[in-house]
Amino acid sequence: MKELSLNILDIAENSVKAGASLTQILIDETDNRLVLSIVDDGCGMSPEIVRSVIDPFYTTRTTRKVGMGVPLLKLACEQTGGSLAIESVTADQNPEKHGTKVTATFFTDHIDFTPLGDVVSSIVTLIQGHPDTDFLFRHTRGENRAELDTREIRQVLEDVPLSSYEVISWIESYLREQYDDFS
Amino acid sequence: MTVEGLLEHGFSPVAMPDGSRTIDGVYIGDLLSWVMGRAQMDNAWITIMSNNNVIAVASLADTSCVILAEGVELSQDLKDLAMAKDINVLSSPKSAYEIAVTLSGLLA
Repeated sequence: MKELSLNILDIAENSVKAGASLTQILIDETDNRLVLSIVDDGCGMSPEIVRSVIDPFYTTRTTRKVGMGVPLLKLACEQTGGSLAIESVTADQNPEKHGTKVTATFFTDHIDFTPLGDVVSSIVTLIQGHPDTDFLFRHTRGENRAELDTREIRQVLEDVPLSSYEVISWIESYLREQYDDFS
Repeated sequence: MTVEGLLEHGFSPVAMPDGSRTIDGVYIGDLLSWVMGRAQMDNAWITIMSNNNVIAVASLADTSCVILAEGVELSQDLKDLAMAKDINVLSSPKSAYEIAVTLSGLLA
């Protein structure tokens, strides 16, 4: 993918499909290193499934025989000298605390580093497409920070759906304003 | 033009499970997610990438073959994977541009 923001969308969609009530999208940049973590409290995967999602010929979809989300993210980070790790706990293993964490580490000064792209659009798309599940987004770069937690917005809004036009527009401008201060 | 027909024009076989497939166009690209949505069925796909995702993208897009440019090689594991997934792979020492020029003449 030309931008990491598209990879983020792809991986976070998997979390929603896994039945997550909260999906965290965390980007942490320090010096020449960018760590992207997508953490959910969904149904989790057995070690066998974790191994197979890295395989491009594996997919949970029945319409085609190839699932490329995780393999392409793995390729994108390994091209920069980084790596991808997946940790997962199934609901059977631990009914209280289950879910999946995908961590991709990139070296941003490598020539093959894919630019982050329009993360705000990805986050807005996710919220709009899944207004009944929660997302926590946090991007830190040194002293800079952009953050959004739909649980907080939901509390304030009470019954107004997150996918309503006014709310989505507000979320988008709220995030973009925070990025205006990024250096 | 068939995939095995290319062997007479300076291309080397890397894995050829189905040399009788027809080539009716060419696609060039290395960004796999981009290629995935754009390469057409029965295209010869020219790339310098060589990892297992290449085999997966060729399978998804149903290209007639992958042509590895500039002498790029596949590991034995990937040759075996290509055979198992029914993906033809050829190689050439030439650049993607030179390969495309050759194919342009052959497909005319």
